[in-house]
Amino acid sequence: MTPDQKINSIVIVGGGTAGWLTAGIIAAEHSANGTAINDLVDVQITLVESPDVPTIGVGEGTWPSMKSTLQKMGISETDLIRECDASFKQGTLFNGWKTGGNDAYTHPFTPPHSYASTNLAPQWQKFRNEVAFADAVSSQNALMFQGLAPKQISTPEYAFNANYGYHLDAGKFAELLRKHCVDKLGITHLKANVIAINSSADGDIESLQTDTEGHIAGDLFVDCSGSKALLLGEHFEIPFCSRSQFLFNDTALASQVPYTNSDDPIASSTLSTAQTSGWIWDIGLPTRRGIGHVYSSAHTTEDRASEELLAYIKATVSAEAASTTSIRKVAFNPGHRAKFWHKNCVAVGMSAGFIEPLEASALVLVELSAAMIAEQLPANRQVMDLVAKRFNTKFLYRWDRIIDFLKLHYILSQRQDSDYWKDNIAASSIPESLSELIDLWRWQSPWHRDTGHIDEMFPSASFQYVLYGMGFETQSSTTVRRSDREADSAAAGLFRENAERTQKLLASMPTNRELIDKITTYGLQKI
Amino acid sequence: MSNYVLLNNSAHKDLRVITTRSESYGDNVMHAMTFPIEFRDVQSSYPIFFCKDSESGQFYPAALFGLEQNQNLFLTEGGWDASYIPMMIKRHPFLIGYQTDPEHVGGKKPVVSIDMDNPRINDSEGEPLFSDNGEATDYLKESISMLEAIHHGHEHNKGFVETLLEHDLLEAFTLEVVLNDGSKNQLTGFYTIAEQKLHELEGDTFAMLNKRGYLQAIFMAVASHSRLRPLVEKRNALIL
Repeated sequence: MTPDQKINSIVIVGGGTAGWLTAGIIAAEHSANGTAINDLVDVQITLVESPDVPTIGVGEGTWPSMKSTLQKMGISETDLIRECDASFKQGTLFNGWKTGGNDAYTHPFTPPHSYASTNLAPQWQKFRNEVAFADAVSSQNALMFQGLAPKQISTPEYAFNANYGYHLDAGKFAELLRKHCVDKLGITHLKANVIAINSSADGDIESLQTDTEGHIAGDLFVDCSGSKALLLGEHFEIPFCSRSQFLFNDTALASQVPYTNSDDPIASSTLSTAQTSGWIWDIGLPTRRGIGHVYSSAHTTEDRASEELLAYIKATVSAEAASTTSIRKVAFNPGHRAKFWHKNCVAVGMSAGFIEPLEASALVLVELSAAMIAEQLPANRQVMDLVAKRFNTKFLYRWDRIIDFLKLHYILSQRQDSDYWKDNIAASSIPESLSELIDLWRWQSPWHRDTGHIDEMFPSASFQYVLYGMGFETQSSTTVRRSDREADSAAAGLFRENAERTQKLLASMPTNRELIDKITTYGLQKI
Repeated sequence: MSNYVLLNNSAHKDLRVITTRSESYGDNVMHAMTFPIEFRDVQSSYPIFFCKDSESGQFYPAALFGLEQNQNLFLTEGGWDASYIPMMIKRHPFLIGYQTDPEHVGGKKPVVSIDMDNPRINDSEGEPLFSDNGEATDYLKESISMLEAIHHGHEHNKGFVETLLEHDLLEAFTLEVVLNDGSKNQLTGFYTIAEQKLHELEGDTFAMLNKRGYLQAIFMAVASHSRLRPLVEKRNALIL
């Protein structure tokens, strides 16, 4: 391509959630509807999908960011709930992570009360033996433990009393996005297999050669082809960086389990229960639960992992469900590509990398990647290299932070019941950046300026929830600080406000199931 | 709590209904559902806004009687001080219910129920329901025709609200009322006609609204806002 070649045409390869989300997010910013104004032209977006590759249809969790992502695309929340078997998720509830016993704590989506101005963590330390951190500072903790919804039927679409994301059926979600992208956002959908990649002299991708749709030319190619990374991996041979030295889990056993009764409660958090060599996810959709065991194949066998999964299903659903469920095995290499944007090709989704779903980082990374592509869409080929460089720097940083945050869950555990937990606290398995933070937090609690970037994926509040939920202790300050004195006088009032708000929400929020049923019957209002 | 049973002229032949308006009979309500068919009368006394049913989240038009929960500023020692009382208030202790219609598969027919726990009900005071030979009295006949009007009103409201939403003609609305003693009341959870959107409508949409009988209702709801000031004055009059 010539340096002044305009970027008018985007070709996305792959039609899973990554492909359609990327298409929708870019189209929501760049009109693709043929509504050219004056001499400005539309960006053309084409999504080419193999008719032969099935999408992976496991239940998935999103972050709260999905609300605004969908709203910007113009998707109705009522449609999402009805068509994607979706329910409300308010965070993660961790069981057995601390000691392997009956310990439980939450990482709610809502930051601690008054978090913008007051750090309640040092104040809470004085009462750490009387009240759990998340319970003292957040009203969402109680909603999560009781399976209550984050809003009411009279709350408008995407508005909330407590912040939330979704649990949804990824296959149905991709289908809803596809329909919306094609019918409303003017995206061209082609079903064909890519059989060759045609390059220009400078090494850029010029076009894709397909079996049934001929050559598909474009200015920018987005690789959403999944873990095989057709363009970035197979074609450009960008190396893969394994991160298994930090995060050991590399295998998942996934199952779908129906409810015993169709009106059984739907959990309003992802349940994460630690096992001897991994952990079990439990995601409640309206019609079924998605339950799976993600573990380290170096530390346990498939049989052993399967036994633990079935024991969990037996204990939390029924013996019958455990004896009839079918289990699907997915092996993965935890890690990411050495870079994500190379020449005129950028990878989004599993083609960029994959890591255990401990904090449901997969879909939010797709949203963040697509949003940056949409916002920074290069005007021409020349500036694309600059945008690519910045994109790579940002997302390598993000992968490192995800790894730090996931690893944090393991190193705070007191579990010693298997080599898995022992190996997880070996110094060689802990990224230096995380070790440094832990040393820092022994003396001061996480706070706004700890984090490097303004658009950090895991803000200091998330670190507070996990650290103090896991029982980590920060020494109290030995010198007098003005800000502490102010917080000290404000703290009692803030804790009381939080308790009052909690009581109010507990009394007024429906259960997750009740709200989903009402949305199915009446729908949510737009205002 | 309510205890609705189907009305019949043998079990209920001696019942009477007290029609006096007072707090002891549950008239101390802040607002009540209203219907376009009575907007002409309602707007002469009360502001008309829209609110959401807490069970379904569905919008319905409501006549406003007070500025806070359980406050009805029209209720005085001498009863309800207004020229018109909305049907949903007057209907008590009756309710229109629905029974499976044996004549039509899947059909429902409206039936009259009475709330046996309503304090208006007794057998000595007020309006009798049935004459000695078991026929409905004029009072009961009027009540039944009102229930029928309410039944049609519900249907009409559904279409009315759907059309308003479809054309983005409703908007949220927060009313800050500063009383004479400086205290502030904030009314939230109410919606009103989006007048800017109304003025931007195309001719075809106006014609459609007019044809369905909604246009007049829309403008009467807008006009009813002038009843807010007298409502606030009533509240101010209560300040000693």
